[in-house]
Amino acid sequence: MFGYVLPDKPELKIGEYEIYRAIYCGVCRAIRKNHGNLPRLILNYDIAFLALLLSSITDDKLDIRSERCMVHPLRRRNILQDNAILDYAADMDVLLSYLNLRDKWQDGRSVASLAGLAALKGRYRALMDKYPVKSLIILDKLKELALLEKSRCASVDQAADPFARLMEEVIRYGPACTDENTETILRWIGYNMGKWIYTIDAFDDLEEDIRRNSYNPFLCQYDYKGQDIGVFRNRIVKDAEFNLIHTLDEIAKGFELLDFKRYKDIVGNIIYSGMQKKTENILGRGKAT
Amino acid sequence: MRDPYEVLEINRGASKEEIQKAYRKLVKKYHPDQYRDNPLAKLAEEKLAEINEAYDYLMKNGTAGGDRSYRSSEQTWDTGRDNTDTDSFFNQVRININNGNLAAAEQMLDQTNIRSAQWFFLRGILFQRKGWYSQAMSHLQTAVRMEPGNREYRNALNTMNNGNTAYRERSGRYAGRDADLCNICECMVCTDCCCESLGGDFIPCC
Repeated sequence: MFGYVLPDKPELKIGEYEIYRAIYCGVCRAIRKNHGNLPRLILNYDIAFLALLLSSITDDKLDIRSERCMVHPLRRRNILQDNAILDYAADMDVLLSYLNLRDKWQDGRSVASLAGLAALKGRYRALMDKYPVKSLIILDKLKELALLEKSRCASVDQAADPFARLMEEVIRYGPACTDENTETILRWIGYNMGKWIYTIDAFDDLEEDIRRNSYNPFLCQYDYKGQDIGVFRNRIVKDAEFNLIHTLDEIAKGFELLDFKRYKDIVGNIIYSGMQKKTENILGRGKAT
Repeated sequence: MRDPYEVLEINRGASKEEIQKAYRKLVKKYHPDQYRDNPLAKLAEEKLAEINEAYDYLMKNGTAGGDRSYRSSEQTWDTGRDNTDTDSFFNQVRININNGNLAAAEQMLDQTNIRSAQWFFLRGILFQRKGWYSQAMSHLQTAVRMEPGNREYRNALNTMNNGNTAYRERSGRYAGRDADLCNICECMVCTDCCCESLGGDFIPCC
């Protein structure tokens, strides 16, 4: 369900892209430092966005250095050095990955996910202790989501709500919430971020879910009855697009009110361009047909 | 007070025209209509107040003249209706929504068996505040279908639709796309601002 929140690379200036990469690599490093080598394989772009956003509104000094890393030993890369935000992003990545694997295991019993689960279990316990309130809220939201999916909830909005609230909690990083206004804005961005990720993922998975006869909120809301997938997709694409773009607009509204200390253009690139292009791409607009 | 040039995102020594242009752009961005029925509405209002203050300051201390095309106005519901039972019921729902007490408003709407246009409208607004846009849209559409003459319902529906246009319009800055469509919109909004300052109105919802 992850990996949709990407920058629009051709529109970034070279220096901006370097910073984005440095943050991405920084999170990867933090995962290795705090959680060992295996979880690094599951770092995703949504978490890199989290680290970028939180870094952009705080004014701690950031230390970026050019170094070699183990994953790409041949090239030197700019890497953001260890800080509290990277640690937090790494923690959230491991926590969500574990829960995602557990969900997959309960769903389809894949052996790969069981192997991942076993490897991460210890880390998961440690994170439960480190974030007792946050992890309970996250667990609670995932439970809610599982119940909605089980009862084949026929509303995309409603089905997206638990995951949206989960992201609201993830993005609400204490030290970045310096005042009530910032917290309100961050939460609204988080809610809509989660909603967008859940919704676009559901649309992206339409075909697979039909094939595997799995739950998908679009199939339930728009009453799919075995017709041709292309026809069905055409029927719902306008509604889906409205919902997704409106969600992006709400994220953008939060963005316009945030007090940025740096990197505003990189965050703006992702919110206004990267996510819009991703939306069009998955809805089938960006492609030449 | 923050540096007015910083607030208006312009360079020091900007000309009067540049100041006005920057001001209009920002007013459009943070206009209450853009943030209507949104948890960030109050914050946008504060931001706009800051922009107005910066603009007034620069106009007074820099160049002469310069009337503001927009003045901050509190977004209020029309609550002064006849005091029948239904109206006071819906007024209470509106008060709850206004105060951010969404759970109470939702409970009230769920429990009544009235399904008037106003019910669909308020349910739509509530969904919008919660972030449930697909539901919000269909409820607002129903309200407008039931009472096509109601300006309040139509405005809410238009605002929702406009949000998507506004997002795409602003994304031009980051995506470097063809700006023709943006120019048309900008033209329309400018016309609207001008008309409004002269007492008329070009786009009725803002």
